[in-house]
Amino acid sequence: MNKKSKAYRIFSLVLVIILALLFTFPLYWIITGSFKTGKEINSTTPVWWPSEWTLKNYQKLMSKFKAPLFEIAIPFSQYFSEDGTPAIGLTGPTVPAAVRWLLNTVWMAVASMLLTCLTAAMAGYSLAKKRFVGRNLIFTLIVCAMALPKQVILIPLIREMSSLKLYNTLSAVVYPIVGWPFGVFLMKQFSEGIPTEMVEACRIDGASEWRTFTDVMFPMIKPGVGALAIFTFISSWNDYFMQLIMLSSNRNLTISLGIANMQAENQTDFGLIMAGAAFAAVPIIIVFVIFQKYFTKGITMGAVKG
Amino acid sequence: MRKSSGLTQNLRRQETIAGYLFLLPSLVFFLTFVVYPMFMCIYTSFFDSNMGKDAVDTFIGLGNYKELFQDKVFLGALRNTVLIVVVAVPTVCAFSLWVASAITDMKPWLTSAFRVIFYLPVVTGSVAVTVVWKWMYNNYYGIFNYLLKGMGVIDKNINWLGDARYALWCIIIILFTTSVGQPIVLYVSALGNVDTSLVEAAEVDGATQMQVFWKIKWAQIMPTTLYILVITTINSFQCFALIQLLTSGGPNHSTDTVMYYIYYTAFKLYRYGYGNAMGVVLMIIIALLSAVQFKLGQAQD
Amino acid sequence: MKKLLALVLVLCMVFALGMSAGVYADDVSITLWTYPIGGWGNSEIVDQLIAAFEAENPGIKVSVEYLAYADGDDKVNTAIEGKAAPDLIMEGPERLVANWGAKGYMVDLADLWDDTDKAEILPVVQAACFNKEGASYEYPLCMTAHCMAINLNRFQAVGADKLVDLDAHTWTTDQFIEAVGLLAAENPNVAAVFCGGQGGDQGTRALINNLYSGTFTDADHTKYTADSEENIKALELLAGLEGVNFDPAIVGGDEINLFRQGILDMAFCWNIGAQLNTDNNDAGLTNDGDQIVCMAFPSDDGVPELCGGIWGFGIFDNGNAAKIEAAKTFIKFMADSPATAEAVKASTYFAVRDSADGFDLTKIYDGNDIMSEYTKLMPFLGDYYQVVPGWAEARTAWWNMLQQVGSGADVTTAVAEFCTTANAAAAK
Repeated sequence: MNKKSKAYRIFSLVLVIILALLFTFPLYWIITGSFKTGKEINSTTPVWWPSEWTLKNYQKLMSKFKAPLFEIAIPFSQYFSEDGTPAIGLTGPTVPAAVRWLLNTVWMAVASMLLTCLTAAMAGYSLAKKRFVGRNLIFTLIVCAMALPKQVILIPLIREMSSLKLYNTLSAVVYPIVGWPFGVFLMKQFSEGIPTEMVEACRIDGASEWRTFTDVMFPMIKPGVGALAIFTFISSWNDYFMQLIMLSSNRNLTISLGIANMQAENQTDFGLIMAGAAFAAVPIIIVFVIFQKYFTKGITMGAVKG
Repeated sequence: MRKSSGLTQNLRRQETIAGYLFLLPSLVFFLTFVVYPMFMCIYTSFFDSNMGKDAVDTFIGLGNYKELFQDKVFLGALRNTVLIVVVAVPTVCAFSLWVASAITDMKPWLTSAFRVIFYLPVVTGSVAVTVVWKWMYNNYYGIFNYLLKGMGVIDKNINWLGDARYALWCIIIILFTTSVGQPIVLYVSALGNVDTSLVEAAEVDGATQMQVFWKIKWAQIMPTTLYILVITTINSFQCFALIQLLTSGGPNHSTDTVMYYIYYTAFKLYRYGYGNAMGVVLMIIIALLSAVQFKLGQAQD
Repeated sequence: MKKLLALVLVLCMVFALGMSAGVYADDVSITLWTYPIGGWGNSEIVDQLIAAFEAENPGIKVSVEYLAYADGDDKVNTAIEGKAAPDLIMEGPERLVANWGAKGYMVDLADLWDDTDKAEILPVVQAACFNKEGASYEYPLCMTAHCMAINLNRFQAVGADKLVDLDAHTWTTDQFIEAVGLLAAENPNVAAVFCGGQGGDQGTRALINNLYSGTFTDADHTKYTADSEENIKALELLAGLEGVNFDPAIVGGDEINLFRQGILDMAFCWNIGAQLNTDNNDAGLTNDGDQIVCMAFPSDDGVPELCGGIWGFGIFDNGNAAKIEAAKTFIKFMADSPATAEAVKASTYFAVRDSADGFDLTKIYDGNDIMSEYTKLMPFLGDYYQVVPGWAEARTAWWNMLQQVGSGADVTTAVAEFCTTANAAAAK
């Protein structure tokens, strides 16, 4: 491994370090900015390090908007109520809205991830290992729809969500993500790599279809599922567009939308925005650093085999 | 053999049922939230459909499409969309491969650290990152003008996002930084999984680094490359937040993408039928592109 | 077992995702969406107003959502399309009457206007709140005149302060040109014609219309006249004026920030709310402590015509009579009752009437010097042309037109294109 010339290695190291600094910069700026006073954040020459650390921005973030921590709706009640709003069974204590936004975002991303992985793993198995009429048609449809940006169908989607009484709920963001066929495609490619004999051996032993899937197939495609889980989690976390068009109530916002709304105010309070951005970014970064090994392992296994 | 044909048929029926049952949950979501709206989109695109409580859609056949191909803004948006994809996808792939090969030989903790750093813009979230970039590009006090002026490269401030010559490139740069995280992680692991015995054998045979890379490693990381191509293409087509938050498609529609223009047509001009027609055109382009990519992938297998 | 548990968990998630807004009881619950109209964008202030209302009307619950100017319109449009429009909205009549009302989404509030209202509310406001068919989609609460602002210290430094009448807050076009010339020698960014979006566009409209006394629409508010000789002359002047830059990267809010930061010497997007703002320094001072003076827009005849802002409440017709009734109760409470004084003060703008239900409103800002000084600008309120049809489309076309002019396009062609687009929308 020492074959590369020394000069090249030093050159690339320096370049990578410079790039790394550039990539760290936005986060650095967000975090230091969130502690700067209004004067420094509005300064016309860059203030690299706050001369005076203040918590005022965070206090503002925590006091400006309030929302209940959670509301659990009675399932399907929106279909029976007069105005289409669901009956709330349980309401949490009032907290700063940013906390609720973060919770909404986590909920949305986790629900998308779990639902996508489950449905896609099953569908991928079926498309890879089962022979049945219509299989090719479905698969072709999936391939064609795979790279489609959601904006394309935004108008019909809004109308549909409204007639299903899902508009302005997190479900309206989650379901289209789950319906997105990329996961199915990935899982199908992955499942094809599993030897058919193993599946058949299990069937011959008398195991039910479901058991074959859970006991034989699923453990083998686990790395692929991991890759899909991470891909879905990150992309739904960052899927600003669906959130923008589907969510309108303050309490239903995600953290990205919450920050974007602050930015859109008439007189932009950058300190507040930085505090919001830091509040949104830091938890997920900590999670990412802790689970880095799983993250990277999951992602790679999927791609290498798929 | 004849005797068992009844059994086979039974088995086949069973397999069909099982096949569809496993497919069902996914299919429900796919058909309801992707395919159905897609058909509605195609259907509405033949109507003059506007906002209004009592507005009646009138059938105008291909009217929307005819207008579309004379709409300079739409054609510009289409060009920008293609440009973003054509520029972003290869550069993201090449850049992440280069970074990955540069950091993969380092000490494990260093590799991890760099991996995390390049992933940061992805996990920070596009809205938060955009806020900072907006400040960096600022005409009056942004860091780029500050540094470039300090170094004497420019003597007059450049209005990065306000100048039609630079705005789209500025957006591509942000898109780039938020896209390379995942490919780098993928490549680092893919390079780590390359069969070392092959590499060593080649080195014994006196192959140069370049030859080892292209002849052995490249082939082995091909599946990763394909996967990266697919996810980066998807990502680039979906570039919306950056445009909505930074330029609203301006100046002079120079940063309009089809995705943004659909949103603009629908919610600023209230022309739903027309917006849907744009969606259909984009759908066709993307479906063709996906098919090509998929065929390429199959050829590689 | 573990897998079964996981499955149950997933299913629970699917169902529980129904989590959404809505207060539930036997009460009528209504939603109010409000733009950041002074303190009406601040939940602490609004909560107090709502609490006062709910205390007096125990059967009604009000939940509030806060819109932003930059994407608030899009948000309401999306919600209308999603059949989730709010019950009440607080906004200017131009967007409501010209758009949502005309498209059939609003409730006609003509029955809210009783004879005392007609006597109490200023005639100009009344005219703006009714359309040609006699329908009213907005019940007004407060108003202001949009003006511009100058950094007095900068003006003094270059001797340009002599060019402005600091007492009457007026100046002529020639004085404006001379002042810009003096300031531009020191600062390349005297002022910015912001055109990154529709935010604050009343400022650019008023500036261009005033310079040579052009108008934005014809007198009947049926047609856009931005392509008139006077307006073209004004645009050409601005495009060629050293120190005044067309900036498609910023909107009105950004311009205000830049002005407060001392980067710009003038702001075209200004009103009393901005003058009273104390986020980064005392009211009326920039971040560095320079003095800010409100000014009328410069005009060739020295008589400015300021663009007015009227704000009030509209009701969306969501097909629920009880909610509409509750919303009307809310409007009467906020805009026509003893509580109106507080509601107006919250907005930091002026009342649209001398008294509300007999309760005097003329003295609510007594003792506030900044407000008293600003009152001098109110008589310059010009024609309220925003009721012209096709308004939303015209606003969008407006900033696109400014972007073109800023990038060097021929002014005559650009305004002609603007008028074609806007008039086509008006004719629809």
